[in-house]
Amino acid sequence: MTNKLEGKTNSAPPMNRHMRPPKPPKVKNMKATLSRIWGYMENQKMLFFAVVSFVIMSSVMTLIGPYVLGKAVDLLIEDFNQSVLWKMLALLVGIYIVQAVAEWFQNFWMIQIAQNTVYSMRKKLFGHLQLLPIAFFQKQQHGNLMSRLTNDMENVSRTLNSSIIQVATSVITLTGTLIIMLLLSPLLTVLTLTIVPAMFFGLKWITNRTGVYFKKQQSDLGEMNSFIEETLSGHKMIKIYSKEKQVIENFHHKNEALRESGYWAQTYSGFIPKLMNMLNNVSFTIIVGVGGVLALRDIISIGVIVTFTTYSRQFTRPLNDLANQFNTILSAVAGAERVFAIMDEEKEQGSPKEKHVSNLKGEVIFKNVSFSYDEGQNTLRNVHFHVEPGKTVALVGPTGAGKTTVISLLSRFYDPTEGEIRLDGQKLTEISRESLRNQIGIVLQDSVLFHATVMENIRYGKLEATDDEVIQAAKAANAHDFITKLPKGYETILHSDGHGISHGQRQLLSIARAMVAEPSLLILDEATSSIDTITEIKINEALATLMDGRTSFVIAHRLNTIQKADLILVLQKGQIIEQGGHEELLAQNGFYADLFHTQRRKKDASP
Amino acid sequence: MKRVLAYVFSYKKATTIALSLMLFELMVELVQPIIMARIIDEGVVKQDLSMVMTWGSVLLGLSLLAFVGGIVSSFFAAEVSQGVGYDVRRDVYTKIQTFSTTRFQKFSTSSLIMRLTNDVTQIQGFVFMGLRIMLRAPLFIVFGVAMAFSIHTGLATILAIAVPTSIVVMLFIVSKGVLYFTKVQEKLDSVNSVIQENLVGIRLIKAFNRGSYEEERFNKENQSLQAFNVKALRFMELAMPIIMLGMNSSLVIMLWFGALELNVGDAQPGEVVALINYGTRILGSIGMFAFLMMNFTRGRASAHRIDEVLREEEDEEWSRKDKNRQPVEGAVDFQNVSFYYDSSSTPALRNVTFHVNPGETLGILGETGSGKSSLIQLIPRLFEPTSGEIFIDGKNMKDIEIDSLRLAIGLVPQEAHLFTGTIRDNILWGNERATMDDIIQAAKAANIHDFIMTLPEAYETKIGQRGVNLSGGQKQRLSLARAIVRRPKILLLDDSTSALDANTEASVLQALKQMRSTTFIIAQKISSVADADKILLLNQGRVVASGSHDELLEQNALYQSIYYSQVQEDVLQYDE
Repeated sequence: MTNKLEGKTNSAPPMNRHMRPPKPPKVKNMKATLSRIWGYMENQKMLFFAVVSFVIMSSVMTLIGPYVLGKAVDLLIEDFNQSVLWKMLALLVGIYIVQAVAEWFQNFWMIQIAQNTVYSMRKKLFGHLQLLPIAFFQKQQHGNLMSRLTNDMENVSRTLNSSIIQVATSVITLTGTLIIMLLLSPLLTVLTLTIVPAMFFGLKWITNRTGVYFKKQQSDLGEMNSFIEETLSGHKMIKIYSKEKQVIENFHHKNEALRESGYWAQTYSGFIPKLMNMLNNVSFTIIVGVGGVLALRDIISIGVIVTFTTYSRQFTRPLNDLANQFNTILSAVAGAERVFAIMDEEKEQGSPKEKHVSNLKGEVIFKNVSFSYDEGQNTLRNVHFHVEPGKTVALVGPTGAGKTTVISLLSRFYDPTEGEIRLDGQKLTEISRESLRNQIGIVLQDSVLFHATVMENIRYGKLEATDDEVIQAAKAANAHDFITKLPKGYETILHSDGHGISHGQRQLLSIARAMVAEPSLLILDEATSSIDTITEIKINEALATLMDGRTSFVIAHRLNTIQKADLILVLQKGQIIEQGGHEELLAQNGFYADLFHTQRRKKDASP
Repeated sequence: MKRVLAYVFSYKKATTIALSLMLFELMVELVQPIIMARIIDEGVVKQDLSMVMTWGSVLLGLSLLAFVGGIVSSFFAAEVSQGVGYDVRRDVYTKIQTFSTTRFQKFSTSSLIMRLTNDVTQIQGFVFMGLRIMLRAPLFIVFGVAMAFSIHTGLATILAIAVPTSIVVMLFIVSKGVLYFTKVQEKLDSVNSVIQENLVGIRLIKAFNRGSYEEERFNKENQSLQAFNVKALRFMELAMPIIMLGMNSSLVIMLWFGALELNVGDAQPGEVVALINYGTRILGSIGMFAFLMMNFTRGRASAHRIDEVLREEEDEEWSRKDKNRQPVEGAVDFQNVSFYYDSSSTPALRNVTFHVNPGETLGILGETGSGKSSLIQLIPRLFEPTSGEIFIDGKNMKDIEIDSLRLAIGLVPQEAHLFTGTIRDNILWGNERATMDDIIQAAKAANIHDFIMTLPEAYETKIGQRGVNLSGGQKQRLSLARAIVRRPKILLLDDSTSALDANTEASVLQALKQMRSTTFIIAQKISSVADADKILLLNQGRVVASGSHDELLEQNALYQSIYYSQVQEDVLQYDE
């Protein structure tokens, strides 16, 4: 899989340990990113146009307001006329009210547009994450992905809230002023515009730098987020091994990197108003200097110069605003690009032939299946077996032999590199993942809990299960007793890090979860490894009922579970070295028989 | 907020330089109109080109100076706001590291992450904007109002009423807005937490086909985040036009009264003009304030959240690391120890008493949830007993420096927690001074060396977060190697051989024996603890029996029933 995210692969293929992530490239394609953001706003076009029209209205009022105020003041000084003054004041009040109302509405709707946009981008991103293959998650650090959904999105949000209105306001004021300036004196206007190239190059110089550092800042923030997430999740390990100083030390490096990129991003951004201010003064000097010469030659009148200077100031203010906004937008683009990078990751591939399945009988065939996580290294080689519907398969073999991989292929976390798997005669790759997984109940090695009640955690196996069904499953899994002893019984809220209940209890909940699912295909991956044997015996009966009539795949170390299986697959280094029933394998007198007899001898020798 | 402001003040030099350079800029800005007026009045109007050139050069010179000053001040302003961000993050992170497990659990990980990243960004935004506007706006306002009073007391009163009123209104908005933005940050926490859960549980979610369910759950949080955001932003942004309308109206009122006074002859037209002029300027400054208000409000909400963490007590004084370490021999005594988890009303341990001599092995057996892990976690002081005492080498555990204690302990948890990095790094975690030889020895003892050597980059192979690319047994063995390389005086194995097959387990246990550590082994299988010097049998937090394997087998009914349950429970052993 191509990894489009900046060099943060942290699993195989291994990288040089001390290699720093490459410096992020410049903002790749600002236009493309902006138009993608626009894509999320498009369905709010009407509202957007409403905002723009209110912006026009309020900008016009902002332009007219001072003008009328000036007139009113003139009136005060020159020929005082009370009734005209009242009218003017009334007009002024009217203008201010319209301005306030227009601003009110433009803000009101803009906030909605901005937040809706951010909402749908987040939603899309999260939805996309759900569709990405497991392999993707193995290469990503959690904290970095989290940062994209929060910090990077917040960056976009901040900009959307204010920038659009400010850009629109600036553009309108700029156009208005430019028109008036042109009417006053095209020549002086051209003179004023001489600073535009200087401004352009200055801005380009600055934003070339800020753009890079904004990107760097966001990725440094992501890196730091990963580090925080990982070390906080491993809080206990840090305590036990007294690693506080070391993680703080490492944190300092990340923190320093972030300070560094933040420092430069902010410093360069700070140049913009200073540059604009200076150029503004330069343009003023040019206007009066050249204007003065021209006035001497009677080409223009002095009055025009005087008026012009005020307008040229008005011209540069919105330009200044625009320059600042451009910079802000760059920082949002830096965030948005990181978001879009994930959205561009390829989804779990589905073929168009994919069909939905239901009511599976559960016949499983592996035909010469080979699989490798990384090219070159085969995790499974030529795995070949056939399971009749309703039978129990035990996977046996030393750690790392490929047992979990067989199960991962069956649940289509991965597809085989070679060979094919058939389920009820259908190619597995032609069954939609969704309908396949709806038929599978799985108890994983690591039991996962959600921050939700016990009830909800068990119900995760079958969302429409009634409370009764959940309690039945909990009883069958022997979890009922300890659940009722929890402070709020089934309504006790569990934590995703599992504190408050023991590891074995978490496994019991996982088993209850699979039980409530009533799957056609059951997978138990060391489901009882942390459960004491007495409890295990109690739930074995329930497990046996559950497995009855369902095709089941069991990874276990305990002999009597294995002995009862209809088919035993003995795996070693990714290959099936023996398969068959217990008696059959004993008769073969191979690896399995050896294991079995050694075990028996040991036992006879032990007390 | 105070605490956060203290961070700003710690950058006295940079802040002073940045502010004085800004003051200089401000002065240039104030002088500019006067020079411009002079150029126009005395140069252009009088058609005196040399005048234009002279003053033009002065103007250019000054603005160049202001430009240079501005550029320099950018560096210092950035130093302050990025430095404050850096310091806050450093202190919060350091603080979190001093938390005991109990205190740590008060906050959710996702919320702490948000506080360290997003909340700090908010504060930085505030500091940065504050530095830019802090001097300017108040100066303009105070100066403006004072000037207005010196011109015409009567009319200036209008300003004197309008300005404080709008400031009070703004303060009210800020105080209300802080509540809204606190909610926004909290919602961000929840969004973050759903994401984290999804990343941790992605296999389960895929296996149970709960993608759309999770999306729904996420969108619920996402939606309420959006709703709170809209509410908060609207509250803030909608207040602005209203304040401005109020201020603008005060201008109109001034004009109106001005006209009346003019009529009566109490005011000169020039005075009214000047007042209006100042009024407009003050208005602009208030506008700037209003602009800052948003940053201030968000900053305040975030500062409060950060304060919540910084305010917490430090439980562990690991910082005294350089003190002389007390050697630990490894005798462990529990006397009447009872323990409750914070959230629970039933005890996890009740009156536990036992004694282990240095170098002995203690097996712990018991049902799921009987308190085995809780017992073991008290030894490195991850939790403190609710009552009773624990003695190490006859000394009350509380009197031993926590670092010395933990340095002597190796704990292998049920769920191996590996970190992003190479395999070598992960083993090295147990003892940073270990040589490559030590690491290989430890890996061999944990029976993982051979596997490591089959990897393309052997010990330099990178493993993903939580060891995603390893099998359960491999993770457990790496975690064991990490404890072994530590050469601990007290070794705590919390069911940490469960994913190992019996042969591997036996050879690992054999290797551990040679370390002569005081060893606690929690196990499900009696075979794992049969060789122990003593076995504790726990039931509902109580020690119901203790003794050697043979004694227990003879005397204890519960032990017998476990034993017989396991006679049929043979475990396969693999020769590797």
